[in-house]
Amino acid sequence: MSEPELEIPENWESRVPGDWEWQSLWTAVEEGDNDYSGERVQQAIDADIDARVILDDGLFPGFNLQGNRFSEQLIFIPEMLITARAMKTGLALIRPLLAAAAEKPLGTFVIGTVLGDMHDIGQSIVTIMLENAGFNVINLGTDVHPDKFIETAIAEKADLIGFSALLSTTVYYQKVTIDEFKNSGHRDKVHILIGGAPTSQEWADECGADGWGKDAMAAVILARDLMSESRVAWS
Amino acid sequence: MNMAAKNSDVHLTITTKSGEHSIAVKRDTTILDAAHSGGIEIEATCGGRGRCRSCRCKMISGSLPPPSMADTIQLGTEEVHERFRLACQTKLIDDTVIRPMPPKSESGHQILAGKGSTTAMAIDSGVVKLPISVAIPTSEHHQSSDLEEIFIALGDLVSTQDVALGIIRDLPVTLRKSKGELTATLFRGRLVDVEPGDTSSKAYGIAFDIGTTTIVCSLLDIASGEELASVGMINPQAPFGGDLMSRIAFAQFNKKNLAILRGKVLNALNDLIKQACKEVGILPRHIYKIVVVGNTCMHHILLGIDVSYLGLAPYAPVIRAGLTIPASELPLKSVPNAYVCTLPILAGFAGGDAMACVLSTGIHKSTETLALADIGTNGELVMGSRERLVVCSAPAGPAFEGAQIRHGMRGAIGAIERVSIGEDVTCGIIGDVKAIGICGSGLIEACAQMATAGVLNANGTIRRKNTDELPLQIARRIRREEHGLEFVLVWADESAAGKDITLTQADIRQLQLAKSAIYSGIVMLQQVMDIKSDEIHKLMVCGGFGNFVDVASAVRIRLLPDIPVDRIVYFGNAALMGAQMVLLSEAQWQLAEDLAQKIEHVALAACPEFQDLFIEGMNFNSPQPHSVKLATAAAK
Repeated sequence: MSEPELEIPENWESRVPGDWEWQSLWTAVEEGDNDYSGERVQQAIDADIDARVILDDGLFPGFNLQGNRFSEQLIFIPEMLITARAMKTGLALIRPLLAAAAEKPLGTFVIGTVLGDMHDIGQSIVTIMLENAGFNVINLGTDVHPDKFIETAIAEKADLIGFSALLSTTVYYQKVTIDEFKNSGHRDKVHILIGGAPTSQEWADECGADGWGKDAMAAVILARDLMSESRVAWS
Repeated sequence: MNMAAKNSDVHLTITTKSGEHSIAVKRDTTILDAAHSGGIEIEATCGGRGRCRSCRCKMISGSLPPPSMADTIQLGTEEVHERFRLACQTKLIDDTVIRPMPPKSESGHQILAGKGSTTAMAIDSGVVKLPISVAIPTSEHHQSSDLEEIFIALGDLVSTQDVALGIIRDLPVTLRKSKGELTATLFRGRLVDVEPGDTSSKAYGIAFDIGTTTIVCSLLDIASGEELASVGMINPQAPFGGDLMSRIAFAQFNKKNLAILRGKVLNALNDLIKQACKEVGILPRHIYKIVVVGNTCMHHILLGIDVSYLGLAPYAPVIRAGLTIPASELPLKSVPNAYVCTLPILAGFAGGDAMACVLSTGIHKSTETLALADIGTNGELVMGSRERLVVCSAPAGPAFEGAQIRHGMRGAIGAIERVSIGEDVTCGIIGDVKAIGICGSGLIEACAQMATAGVLNANGTIRRKNTDELPLQIARRIRREEHGLEFVLVWADESAAGKDITLTQADIRQLQLAKSAIYSGIVMLQQVMDIKSDEIHKLMVCGGFGNFVDVASAVRIRLLPDIPVDRIVYFGNAALMGAQMVLLSEAQWQLAEDLAQKIEHVALAACPEFQDLFIEGMNFNSPQPHSVKLATAAAK
């Protein structure tokens, strides 16, 4: 295992005005400096830097660095959350510009914690990570009934559904929710991801999920990969 | 007796050191009521129910009323002859002069009151065991029966005619063999045992604390309150899940598995009862009252109540009220004559154990704000005073028990329990043997020491940059393995298994989650109560685990709030002590029922602000916490 390093985007200088630097924003996102990340992204917008460039060259490097550290437990939930928030602040400023430039979301992801489970932290981190990665995320919160997942999936023509369970007593409802999707006849139209501390790849296979994310970063990668897999289209 | 005088006043004269008080009251008023109506305080610890001796008085002059059954039981025939009576039982029939004479050592006792507390508690277990002489029915014309003759002998001590069939079956032989000289035992006015001869000194009770991880059993002489034996064991349900939730998951929607868990705990209780009885040399049939405390999950499983929905939000218990159940119905087959009492559940997972902690710490009587933390797999936190009490349940998980820690183990021989870091690492091992692993208290101390030594950052990350600034012997203990960063506590040559004993980054993350559950729970209660840390007059750490935790380390890693260390005291097994109190006192049992209605439950998961507190609580304290600063200031 090696120490994650900051991956500096190739030729970033060619995409910004002559004296522009990104290092301060990389550091701000890495350290979770919410105020500065907003300030610097606004400066970039004012300097007419392309929104896609701000996202890829400005915000992602610091975010990815922390994400990789989080995966290796070199940082923990508090640090990951402040980084995710700093990223979100910057992203909020450029999102309208991305939309105007007809940048489509990668897909629509409906997320929540299963029925009977009040745990919020894990799924809120995954939500921010998915949004940052370019997904349109609909967060249903905690203690979500299977019917609510299905209704929302239909209404939003969702591509992906993800539900976490943080208690060994509530993982049961991951299976129940998947079974309800089957019963409703919509199972083939969505990819289903599960996660949460008591879950595993074995459990994902057993309950009939399409994938299991061991942490938030893994969930994002998995979501991207699943988007390219085929499924039945919403009518 | 003169009928005309029936409704006339009689005069009660009470002589005390401070003089004489005369009170006019209606005839047939008890001395106690008469005294209170005249503003004279006579202590009646049991509430005037003839179950203690605190209102003893001497009848100086006036007609001497015949002694009641309670007078004879509490005072003995000798004192009754010497004109002693219980003020609560004695009715005035004409002008009387009395002197209150409470016994110097009223049977209240202090062993249960915990450290530093002097609250005495009157013994009133609800169990009455006394020798009686029963008339054996002789005439066929006399419409009576063996049982009715016993009831006649017991008089108004009997409040229900409902008697277990087993007692009735044995009655004819017992009665005749002993020629009517019997010992009867009553529990809450119900006949529960009949034996030949005088066995009145043999009345015992048991208090159980059923924890998620351990079960403790305490055998008491129910008349004197003396603890005769204390035995314990690992909860045999543990192989089916270390924490509550995995235990519930095992039994969830599966009656067979629930029966397995229930069978495990019933066997354990039976075994512990037999073991305790054998140790003291008493018969299990002489155990008449058993008080069981435990968290809601343990309570439900013991009673065979479905726990399926207890594991799902909003984690509602099936029943909250305290119960009294014949042991044979549970069934606890080793104790045929006993009744099992459970304490009321507060809410969710804060069960009878939390209630018992409240009783034993006396937090409900305090004029100042106190807090109590029962630290375990499922922690219970209570805060407040006599004005208001709030409770929450803090699911710390099994990290403090050494579970989910790479080299974790329970606090047994071979466990690292003390860690100190200077130029190098020094570990204290339980039993002074080669180290096998690390237990919860060792984990806490290790992390505190590592944080102070600069091996751990405030966010719990093992240092990986500039380690050359650390002492050489420390720096070489930090390494990166396949599973991530780790810190070597004990080198292979000093370990029992001949392998390095390490703390991994993942272990520290587990500890951070566990300790933040406790810490943020305390902070949340503070917010609900609107009190600052320095307004907590005393923080009582309870539970078997708390005994071994170094308080300064606990504050250092932010397991406990940053208050001066001298305000943090170890209280002992408060849950077991509470169970013992209820075992010995029906008044405490009643009090528990009342308190359960008043204590406010704070559902952490449902508090929006709790999440932020929990995240913040994962970090360690700044290097100079309040307590350390104070200690430094004091040293100067």
